[in-house]
Amino acid sequence: MAKPKLKPEIKTESLVSAAPRWNVVVLNDPINYQAYVVMAFMNVLRIGAPEAKRLMRAIHAEGRATVWTGDRERAEMLSLELQQWHLSSLLEQDG
Amino acid sequence: MAELRLTMTTEARKVLTDLLRLIAPAAARVTVNRANVPAADEEIAGFWVETLTAQASEEARLLSVAFAGAKGDPAVIVLPNEAQALAFLRALSAVRLALRDLVFADVTDAQLESAEDLDDESLPTEQRHALACYACFGLLQQSLIAQLNPEAFD
Repeated sequence: MAKPKLKPEIKTESLVSAAPRWNVVVLNDPINYQAYVVMAFMNVLRIGAPEAKRLMRAIHAEGRATVWTGDRERAEMLSLELQQWHLSSLLEQDG
Repeated sequence: MAELRLTMTTEARKVLTDLLRLIAPAAARVTVNRANVPAADEEIAGFWVETLTAQASEEARLLSVAFAGAKGDPAVIVLPNEAQALAFLRALSAVRLALRDLVFADVTDAQLESAEDLDDESLPTEQRHALACYACFGLLQQSLIAQLNPEAFD
């Protein structure tokens, strides 16, 4: 015998994540060549050459630039990977 | 990707190899000391230091093996694949950073950034020698990047 189909009432509410966002900042350095920095960004941030060059130029002009923003765990991983490329990177809380 | 090759005179190989023997252990230390480790979190800080230390010693080993194995005239360093080439590229950066911290501590960033304009005649012999090696390591990096990804150049 088939059981009557129950239509459960499901209440949903959207949860807006309030987790703080983190910036991965890279500082200018006089040691690594521009092409080397571009290579590092392409490999670590998985971006194309045009975007990597834009970031590299921003760092060269301003002395620093935010290269990625997002959750803390990923920001920490990217910052470590950039330091494995011997770039001066640091983490800053966004906002 | 096919193997990558870096070619240099035997004299350059000898000079660079001799310098690497001196600087490689210090390069590992400099890499870790320069890192902006997030000190607030002990667990993360420990992981970072461990990771960077392991990488630094691997880089020192890679450079040592590559230069020691570069036989012939001219001497040729053969990097069998892209992963090795990228590791070699990073290792050269570590050595240049170590030279900057240990040998050129009294040279300003601006002077070093335009190293070709530096009046090397005014430098002590040890610094002049190190500056030539610093430039050579940079040339090797440029040559490697040109083979790996010419798009990276402006």
